[in-house]
Amino acid sequence: MSLDLFLNQVVPVRQKLFRFAYRLLGNEEDAQDITQDALMKVWSQQEKMPELQNMEAWCMRITRNLALDKIKSRKYRLADELDRAGEVPSAQHSPHTMAEKNDVMVKVRRIIHELPEKYRTIIQLRDMDGYSYQEIADILELDMNDVKVNLHRARKAVREKLQNIQVYGL
Amino acid sequence: MDYNHIIALLDRYWEGETTLEEEALLRRFFSEPHADMPEPLQEAAPLFGFFREEIEQEQALEERLPEPRLPAEASPARVVPLSPFRHWMKYAAVLLMAVGMGYAMKQHQRQETKVHIAEIRQQKEEEETRMAYLETKKALQLLAKNLNKGTEKMQKLAYFNEATGLITGTN
Repeated sequence: MSLDLFLNQVVPVRQKLFRFAYRLLGNEEDAQDITQDALMKVWSQQEKMPELQNMEAWCMRITRNLALDKIKSRKYRLADELDRAGEVPSAQHSPHTMAEKNDVMVKVRRIIHELPEKYRTIIQLRDMDGYSYQEIADILELDMNDVKVNLHRARKAVREKLQNIQVYGL
Repeated sequence: MDYNHIIALLDRYWEGETTLEEEALLRRFFSEPHADMPEPLQEAAPLFGFFREEIEQEQALEERLPEPRLPAEASPARVVPLSPFRHWMKYAAVLLMAVGMGYAMKQHQRQETKVHIAEIRQQKEEEETRMAYLETKKALQLLAKNLNKGTEKMQKLAYFNEATGLITGTN
């Protein structure tokens, strides 16, 4: 792989890699490091490039593996996502409406956070990044049917908890 | 507004049967405020709101993402001619190691020689001790032999003395 190819095809996806790493690690600096490491790893494995069908998925897979290794090797303490609840923008609404909205957002965040890692990742890749089933399967090294089944189960689990919020305010 | 289409889409969304385009449509729908949303839509609204806010927050973080450090080939290394004496410490270290090894070998040889001499000396001492023992043994055997020689004469002398005594006593 020439440097031009790397600059044109790999470097532009680094934002996506960062986002993915950030969701897994919950820490901006570590996500930046993992993104850089992933780029270097892609470069070091450039001989595999001609065989790849989806390079972006491959880069995402490398990023995920690096992030998961980091979590495993250092007994990584995942930042409590609830800490970030206060960052929700607070314009246009009254303080009361805003507090109510924040409260709901905190609960939704918790619902997503409490999902098993595979469910959470699949939902994020599909609903936030807009990846196809095949791309998600490539990223997570799963069968496409497994992706569909897991996405269905994940959404079902989320829906049940959202209903609890709606009905009981839990 | 006709919400039936959206509700139908949402049902398919929960079942995991929607396409990417349909999901994009749902996201667009929930990104706008709707005053009189039916209950099934109200249930899903926080989830889509969460997705939107997460994306916005991540985009803000992405702006702070530093420029990537590119692989070495990105900026070809400039060749800087180095003076052979630039790394004098390396040479000094190699020299020191060579001297040290030479000294250690010399010491080792010296030590071996000392040990060899000591062994020879010990062997010699052992030999001398053995010889002394044999000489002493020989001398003692000679003495014992000669002592036995005199016994018979002394016996005769004793008889003679006894006889002399008897004669003297009777006279």
